[in-house]
Amino acid sequence: MAKILIIDDDADITEAMRVVLESKSHWVISAKSGEEGLAKARAQRPDLIILDVMMETTDKGFEVARELKKDDLLKSVPVLMLTALKDKMGLDFKKEAGDSVWLPVEAYLEKPLKPEDLISKVEHFLRR
Amino acid sequence: MTRAGKTVEESIVERSRWLISLRWIAIAGVILTAAAANLVFKIPLPVIPLLSIVGILIVYNLIFTFLIVRLRDGFANLQISLDLACLATLVHFSGGIENPFLFYFIFHMIIASILLSRRAAFLQATFAVALFLAMVTIEYTGAMRHYCLVSFIIKDQHSNLLYIGVVSFVFVSTLYIAVYMATSITKRLREREASLAQANALLNEKDRIKSEYVLRVTHDIKEHLSAIQSCVETVAGGIAGELNEKQANLLQRADDRTAKLMVFVKALVEITRIKLAQEIEFDYFSLKDTIESAINFVDTKARNKGIIINSSIAPAVDMINGAQVYIEETIANILANAVKYTSAGGRVSIDVEDDGGNVLIRVRDTGIGIPKGEIGKLFEEFYRATNARFTEKSGTGLGLAIAKQVVARHGGKIWVESEEGAGSTFSIILPKGGVQG
Repeated sequence: MAKILIIDDDADITEAMRVVLESKSHWVISAKSGEEGLAKARAQRPDLIILDVMMETTDKGFEVARELKKDDLLKSVPVLMLTALKDKMGLDFKKEAGDSVWLPVEAYLEKPLKPEDLISKVEHFLRR
Repeated sequence: MTRAGKTVEESIVERSRWLISLRWIAIAGVILTAAAANLVFKIPLPVIPLLSIVGILIVYNLIFTFLIVRLRDGFANLQISLDLACLATLVHFSGGIENPFLFYFIFHMIIASILLSRRAAFLQATFAVALFLAMVTIEYTGAMRHYCLVSFIIKDQHSNLLYIGVVSFVFVSTLYIAVYMATSITKRLREREASLAQANALLNEKDRIKSEYVLRVTHDIKEHLSAIQSCVETVAGGIAGELNEKQANLLQRADDRTAKLMVFVKALVEITRIKLAQEIEFDYFSLKDTIESAINFVDTKARNKGIIINSSIAPAVDMINGAQVYIEETIANILANAVKYTSAGGRVSIDVEDDGGNVLIRVRDTGIGIPKGEIGKLFEEFYRATNARFTEKSGTGLGLAIAKQVVARHGGKIWVESEEGAGSTFSIILPKGGVQG
């Protein structure tokens, strides 16, 4: 059993993921915005974070991911980013990251995500 | 660039090239006519002056050919004036006012009307008239010799004032009328061309607005659909609790239809996005790895149908410049089609060749093929071949339209050869250097 934080502004998708993860006895907490997500991550220290890339802005998720990775207490927490494959291509990964390409997340999951894929990805990153 | 989008400079150069090629024909015509007059009709002509003018024509035609390449300027006005002078000299040495070829001046009036402004065309007509009158006058007054067309129908008319008067009147009026008519037609055609160019620009703009609208709508639909699919899949999979048989059956149907709609919406978002993108990001990537990854993508489906995908990639094929994700998707898509429309036990193969500047990718299958009359429409949006619709109910009709957009964006070409019932071969040529089309 793990504590999983879902940061996504789509309440329905969050709810579906919550049911899937709870069926595997995980404890799910959720946040509807990037700021709320950061606050909950800092306060509750989840074991894994599922983060939607498109929230208030088209790449809010990346901003949140960078903040998470800057936090000493949270930087080891795996972040799975939800994205549409083609959205990913348009983003500038080099922003703020100095001269090297910096991908601040552990994995990309293409939306919509099948329940079995969600479970297997989450288990994979929790085991690491 | 479209026809309407051609720069002024380009069209001037293009038209001047036309003038130069016409002149080569005229030069050949002069030589043949002079030879025929001399040998067949036994009309004695002054060979040396005529050949000298032909020589002058050849020399300045070569000079203009060279100048067009070097200076990107047509010199159309100068070319026409020189032609008129040459023509007047030719006519002078071959009978003057008695020579019916006099009326060949009209061709230059038409050419001037097409190439030049109306004012310049009238000035050229005036120059032609001046040359003609000068020739008639010097021959009439005897300032220069008259070369009589001995044994021709009309002869020794250069001093007949009535004849000179009538021919001059007809000649001068013909030239001006020709210029007037030709410039009127040209003016209308130019106006038409300009309005077509404007209409074309407007259509492109409307198409862009339409694409933006489609993108916004499909994007919204996709968001909602994504949520629906997440919820339905969770319940249909029994994750939210046990379902009875009827519930499971109906939810499975809903889930399947949602998935199909999702595939369609995603394809629509994708093609619209490519169409709207001013530029897609290019990078060097290994085509070999990309093709292998595309094969992996369809391998399971192929194996399930007992189809083995044979691949042969030339050793020279490796790095190319382009959008890797799009290229992989395009190749995977064509391979997936090959597997989808080939019956169990059939064959699918992909081979890749390298000719130095381009790579040629060929996907062959032994599938249902494409009906002859439908091959041309296959790459159109939403088009599905009749036998494809019969064999496989689901399909968006967008896969090949996306493939065409992607290949065109890479400055390449995609086409298909097929025989119904015997299989299809899809070919893609991609430039390795990756010029954004």
